[in-house]
Formats: sequence, C-alpha cells, structure tokens
Amino acid sequence: MNDRVMKRSSFPIGKIIIWILLIAVAVIQIFPLVWLLDFSVASSNEMFTNGLLIIPKVIHFDNYVKAFVDGNFLLYLKNSLLINVLAVVLVLIISIMTAFATTRMHWKLSGTVRIIILLGMMIPIHATLLPNYVIYDKLKMTDTIWAILIPYIAFSLPQGLFLTSSFMASIPKEIEEAAIMDGCGIYRIIIVIITPMLRTSLVTVSIMTFLNNWNEFMMASTYLNTDKWRTLPFSVLKFTGLYSSNYAVQFAVMALTAAPMVIIYILLSKHITKGVAMGAVKG
Amino acid sequence: MKKLFSLVLVLAMILSLAACGNKDDDKTGDDNGTSPTTAPDDSSDDDATGEAVTIKVFTNLPDRTTGQGFVEQTLFDSYMAENKNVKIEVEALDDEAYKTKFKAYAAGTTMPDLVSVWGQPGFIDEVMDAGLLQELNAADYADYGFIPGSLDGFSKDGKLYGLARNTDVIGFYYNAKMFQDNGWTVPTTYTELLALADTINAKGIIPVAMDGGDKWPLYIYMTDLLQKIDGTGVMQKTADAIANADFSDPSFKKAAELLREAASKGLFQTGFETTDYGTAKNLFTNGQSAMFYMGSWEMSMATNQDIAPEIRDNIRVFTMPLIDGAQGKATDISAWNGGGYSVTASGAQKEEAIKLLNYMFKPEGWTKLAWENGVCMSAQDFSQFATGNETEVQKQFTELVKSATSLSGTPLGDMGTSEFKTQSSDLTQEVSIGVKTADEYLQGLAGASK
Repeated sequence: MNDRVMKRSSFPIGKIIIWILLIAVAVIQIFPLVWLLDFSVASSNEMFTNGLLIIPKVIHFDNYVKAFVDGNFLLYLKNSLLINVLAVVLVLIISIMTAFATTRMHWKLSGTVRIIILLGMMIPIHATLLPNYVIYDKLKMTDTIWAILIPYIAFSLPQGLFLTSSFMASIPKEIEEAAIMDGCGIYRIIIVIITPMLRTSLVTVSIMTFLNNWNEFMMASTYLNTDKWRTLPFSVLKFTGLYSSNYAVQFAVMALTAAPMVIIYILLSKHITKGVAMGAVKG
Repeated sequence: MKKLFSLVLVLAMILSLAACGNKDDDKTGDDNGTSPTTAPDDSSDDDATGEAVTIKVFTNLPDRTTGQGFVEQTLFDSYMAENKNVKIEVEALDDEAYKTKFKAYAAGTTMPDLVSVWGQPGFIDEVMDAGLLQELNAADYADYGFIPGSLDGFSKDGKLYGLARNTDVIGFYYNAKMFQDNGWTVPTTYTELLALADTINAKGIIPVAMDGGDKWPLYIYMTDLLQKIDGTGVMQKTADAIANADFSDPSFKKAAELLREAASKGLFQTGFETTDYGTAKNLFTNGQSAMFYMGSWEMSMATNQDIAPEIRDNIRVFTMPLIDGAQGKATDISAWNGGGYSVTASGAQKEEAIKLLNYMFKPEGWTKLAWENGVCMSAQDFSQFATGNETEVQKQFTELVKSATSLSGTPLGDMGTSEFKTQSSDLTQEVSIGVKTADEYLQGLAGASK
C-alpha cells in the first residue's frame, strides 16, 4: 500500500521530465518553420543582422503578394499537385504489383528483376539528365507532363519497391493460402487482402515520393521549357537576381511551398505513428 | 470470377491498343505541329505579311522585375508592342541551371533562337567550335558605339558570333562618411591599403567585405593585382600561361603572395572564404564593413531603397591601389565584357532573332535603359545618355572607364575550360587562406591547364 502511494507521488516528477524533453524536441522541430515564417515577413536587408530571429520593423505581407503574383504561384501549385499526385499513385500501383510479382510469385528471374529495379537507387540523377533530354527531344516529348512524370516515377520506384517488398515478405503466406482455399483469385488477393495490410508502408512510400518530387528542380528545369508544366521550385527562381536575390520574397515562396507538405503531414500523421508502432510490434 | 477477369483483360487489351493508336495519332499530330513553325521561317523574309512569329529566348536573368532582367524584359515588351506579329517566349534560369540546360539544348536538335552567352573562353570557345552560334554581320554594328575590344571575346577567326551586354569594372566600394568621420583616406598604394586595414580593424570594423565563398571574386582579385603589377598584356599572359600550362612568370607568384598577405593581415572579414555574396554585400550595406570588393554591377546599391540613406548616399569607389615597384598605373584598371547574347545556328527563327538582337542593342535600347536605371554600364558608349542625375558612384565608374589607359580583360578563372574554372577557383581560395603556398598554387594552376 505504502509502496503504491510512493509510486503515485513520484509519477508527476517523471511526467514533468518527459514533458520538458518533449517540449525541447518540439521546439527544435518547429523552429525551422517559425524561422521561415519570421523571415518571410521581413525585408531582405534585415536578414543579415545578428540574431536568430528578426523582429521586423514593418511586417511585409507584400512579400506574399509578390510571391503570389510575380511568382506565378497558383499555376505552379496546380502543376505540382497534379504531377505529384499522379506520381505517387503510379508509384504505389507499380510498387505493389512488382513487389507481389517478385516476392510472392515463383518464376526464374524474379530475384534478378527485383535486384535490377533496386539498382536504380544507385543511379545519380545528374548522370541521366543529358541522355534523357536527347531521348525526349527525339520523341518530341520535352515540355510535356510525361517529361517529368516518367523520371519522377522511375526514380521513386526503387525506394517504393524496396519498402513494399520487404514489408510484404513479413506478411504470412498462410493468409493468402487461406484466401485461395476460399476461392479468391490473384488480383483479388492483391487488392482486397495484401494492399490493406501494406497500408502503413504505403503511407511511408507516398510521403517519401511526394517529398522528393515536391522539391525537385534539376530535372524539371532541364526537361521543361515553358511555364505550362513547371512546378513550385520555379517560383523561387523568379526572385533570383544575377548576383544577389530578393531573399525575403524567396522566404515567402518557400513558406507557401512548404505549407501543402505540412498539411499533408498533419493529415497523415495518425497513419504514420500507427505504421511505426505496428512495424515495431511485428518486428 | 474467371469470366470477370477475362473481361477485364480484354478491356485492358482494347485500351492498350487504343492507346497505341493514340500514340500514332500524337506522332502525326506532332509532325503537323512542327510544320507551321517551319513555315514562317521560309516566309520570314517578307515580314510585311505580318505572319505570326514566335522567338524563343533563353536567358540567365530569372528575375524579370529588377536589375538586368527588368531591362531585358522591358526591351522585349516594347519590341512586341512595335511588332504585333512577334511573340517572345522567355525561358530564364539562374547561371548554374542555365549552363546545364544549355548543354542539354546543345545535345538536342533545336535550340532556342536567342541565348545568353559569356564572351569568355571558358564558356564560348567550346560553343563556337561546335558551330552552335550563328555568325552576325559585323558591319551592321559599326555605328552601335561598342567600346573598342568589347566584342573580341565574342569573335573567332574574324567572325562575330555575339554582342556584349555590359562592361564590368572591379573595385573597392567604400563608405565615404565612415572614412571621413574616422579621418581615413583612400589608399593610393597597396602598403597603404594594408596599413588602413590595421587601423580599421583596431576600430572593431571589418575593412573589406569579401565574397570568398563564391570564389570567383578571389580570382578576379588575382587578375586585379596582375593588372597593377604588369600594367598591360595581362589577358595575353594568362592565355599563354594556360595554353603552355606554365605559370612560372614571376608576376603570378607576386600576385598570389600579395593576395595571401592581404588575407593574413586581416584585410577581409574573418571566415571570408565561406561568406557568400549576399552576406558580404550586407556586411557593407549595414555598415559593418568599411569597404566591399565587387564589380560595377553593384552600383545600383546607391539607389537601393532598402539600404539606409546614410550609407546609400555615401557609397564611393576606388580601384586596386598601386603596387610598389610595379609597372601598373592608376589608370590601368581591371575590366572586361562578360555576359552577352548570341543567335543560335539551329534556331527556327534566325532572321527574326537577329532583328530582335539588333533592336535591343540600338544605342537607345539596352545602353540607355541600363544606364538610366543604374543597373550596369553597357558595352557601348553611354555618355550621350548622361541625365545629370547620376549617383556619385555612377559618375566615378564612368570616369574610370573613360580615363582608363588599359583594361585587364577576362579574369583568370574564366580564361580556360569550365574544368579550369572550377579548379582555379578552388586553388585561389586555398592560397588565400594559406592552405597552399604560392608555389603550390602556381603548380596547381599549371596542372589544371593541362
């Protein structure tokens, strides 16, 4: 009895320590966002004063207006969303199907095919820029949505396949066997049984694909020539001068660019934590 | 169940067949798409018909609302207003991305019609050798008032391939009020400059804000010193040294030692080798440094409303002071013609692009606008556009160019291949912070030339 009372009274101290730690971690995590927002309402010249954060003399909301109007923000946002959503969906579909084909199905080259696709992780983007451009040019595909959608999918696929196939390997085969016994066909197994079980790893793949391609610039700048399909990183470019840049507006653009990512993270965070927890139990 | 799947399969097959058919349609569509663009090319000679023309421009000026990008866009807009049938499509990327994309374009079948180029061997030699640029008729520009020698970088074997956009002069911007308040005087010799650095440092102020992180200001400093050591023939000497991979000429060693001496005696801020452009500039515009080593394009600081008036109105400039026992005179300055434009040989609208280029470089075009906006000095004679409202620093630069007895030409790092540029930039940074000795530096440069 006494013991239990002792434990109860010591509990708040432990809780306080945990709270302090969590707050410290939260501050470290959130600081960059605060910093981004702070600098996005300052003037370019205030940026180089000493100190971590600036207290702007005047709050420059006009930075955001400039970012919206001169930065062509809405068009780029539309393109970014369309391209990234398409890339994520296609990467997910192809990853699931390839993972099933190479880890569950038995055929001669299943291992080799998987390794060849995974080798894609080793290819640096810069090495593919020129050859791809020449191919697109011959096919008259430069400046089309395919010109960036294809490489975005191709470069995200190895990672997606790696995650889904290793997760799929941990799903007991007996489930599928039972499904077949009950008269389930192969496509139904994938769609109805496997995919829902992969949900947590699929969320990870989606986020990683989305994040990588959301900020991609090198390929987009090489394969696209006009504003038609250009994505958000081009908005920052609009404020890059020959020698020095309009940093304040660039910060505003970056804040606007980061916003959709933050929102998506908040929406999916439940699944992410769940995924991590489930993975831990399974492991 | 099986039936369902066979149905799905059949559907998928039909869809994929349809997709194939579509692809073929697309292809023919594309072929059709290209023919209209070639058609105006054939008939572009008779412009009177007013057939729609689209000129594609690829430029390294992404910011279209300030600085040189603004001037460029203004000229495009007025050209389109005067020629209703012409549409100008601008694709703009910053230097790094520009050069990568330029290579991609060069590898492809068609290039944009009008492109930004750098009249420096490091960039333009490869491009001219590959036959990517259209020859311009040099006689057309006889009365355009280009400063003698400004088009040399854009020429090969007596043929002209591009026009220079601006004249760049390097110098020390200084805060005249700070100098006056503290009783400092503008140094006339290099020894005086270093002595002044001591005095300024003692006050707790940075003497010269240096953008060492980008490295190119450091090799420009080298060329600046060479110009004051030799007086003339710096560009030729550098070109020969690179061609023979031999930097044993004593002038190079002297310059490298003087650069190292300046850095070790605290002429630049601590950690200058990692300071980038914006930070260095802001050290100066916030009054944390007394001087700023940078090119004439920064003369627009004097009209920049973001800079506090007591600093903005007191910006003046002086060039590299004399070096004891050297041949260079005060009027032997470091200046060159860097950026410019060329028309590509494979562009679809060559004739129209040349017309646009000629329009831009009429003296009342680029030169006038750039000067009036205090953006930069053009490579043409701009004295006729003097408004009388020029800032002090604009007047100083004009005077410097007018009274110059010799110009250095292209800076050291821009004289060789792009590989040489990378290596010489790194080496110059290393010698300035004392990681390499002057001898090791020159050996490194020789190695990079091979």
